Amino acid sequence: MIDNMIEISSDVIRGYNDTMILYILMEEPSYGYEIAKKIRALTSDKYIIKETTLYSAFTRMEKNGYVVSYSQNAENGKKRTYYKMTEAGKAYYQDKCAEWQLTKEVVEHFIRGDE
Amino acid sequence: MEIIRNYLETMFANLPNTAEVIKAKNELYSMMEDKYDELISEGKLENEAVGIIISEFGNLEELAETLGIGGVVNNNVDLDTRLITDDEAVEYVFDASQHRLLLGVGVMLFIISPIFPILAGMIGVAIMFVAVAAGIAIVVLSSIRMGKWKFLDNIRCVIDYSTANALYNELRNNSMSKALMMTIGILCIVLSVIPVIIIDELSANIFYGADMAPASLFIMVGIGVMLIITSTAKEGAYNKLLSLNDKKSVSGNYEAVRSVNREYGSEIVDFIMPNYWKIVTCIYLIWSFLSFDWGRTWLIWPIAGIVNKIIASSNNNKGDRNK
Repeated sequence: MIDNMIEISSDVIRGYNDTMILYILMEEPSYGYEIAKKIRALTSDKYIIKETTLYSAFTRMEKNGYVVSYSQNAENGKKRTYYKMTEAGKAYYQDKCAEWQLTKEVVEHFIRGDE
Repeated sequence: MEIIRNYLETMFANLPNTAEVIKAKNELYSMMEDKYDELISEGKLENEAVGIIISEFGNLEELAETLGIGGVVNNNVDLDTRLITDDEAVEYVFDASQHRLLLGVGVMLFIISPIFPILAGMIGVAIMFVAVAAGIAIVVLSSIRMGKWKFLDNIRCVIDYSTANALYNELRNNSMSKALMMTIGILCIVLSVIPVIIIDELSANIFYGADMAPASLFIMVGIGVMLIITSTAKEGAYNKLLSLNDKKSVSGNYEAVRSVNREYGSEIVDFIMPNYWKIVTCIYLIWSFLSFDWGRTWLIWPIAGIVNKIIASSNNNKGDRNK
């Protein structure tokens, strides 16, 4: 039961923005707005990633070698920065998935329904 | 889209102009632009689209770490930097152009003051001193009034993106009237000898005529100098404000500002060229008044024109070679 009034706290989700972005980049290289759009669609509008969050995730992951960026002209001629996942990124993604499983398992013990 | 650009520029206005900051701004703008295009194509109104984009932008604190700008973002306003608001910019342009106008009137009074002794003899000498004193008073008073803008030179000031744009537009709109005033001013000076010649020819035997001739010369030169001084009044003020932002002090794509700064090759030329015509005018006036050889001194204008072309083109060549 998800109450519409509840919003995801950015503190909680922060550790998993990278995971979401990497998940989308696993399919194919992509650019800022497209990634934001896919995240929104996959979560049925429950999570809308902020532009600044997205950009800081890109720069951080690029610095850590999880993604590489390159410029490419889109169909309409607009020049965009595309991001591509690296092998290190894949490994990092696997780690984060395992971490989430563990986190979920641990936190789950302390979650009680309304009844 | 202009609103979004302004929003972004305002958010970034206090950040240093590093490569990281510029890149971040461009990337964020690109994302916002994509989002805007899509929202509009979905049938959203422009205001709605802008509202959504700004509400989903996030905040700069998140970028602080990546951009190495933690200190700046948290303080938000850099204490050393003073932001000149729109209203202040308008006020400054008004004050500065008024100052230049008064300066022009003052100088004009100095120049025309000798006509009083010429026309009115001894009483005229007294009037001449009154005119000079009035000129001094005007110049001093207007300089004191400008004193309140001293801080523009003393502390680091910036203007924001929308102000810079507005100023640049006004600067461009002003260029025509500036050119016109300056041309009329120069014409006044160049043609100031004509009444002397005409009156000399016509009125050899009319009483008073002999005095009118030199008097009219001073008046025309006075008006000409005043027009030349005031013609650049507004432009000077715009350029002053636009040059507050430079690459070092503030982030911003101030193309407007950059195109104002023309590039000359050597430092000496850099110094001389912006003031070239003023210097020529000075030389012309000094030479003419000292020698009173008005029939010949006008030659300085065509020569100056040719020299100007030569300097400009030789510097362009140098610029090309450097590239």
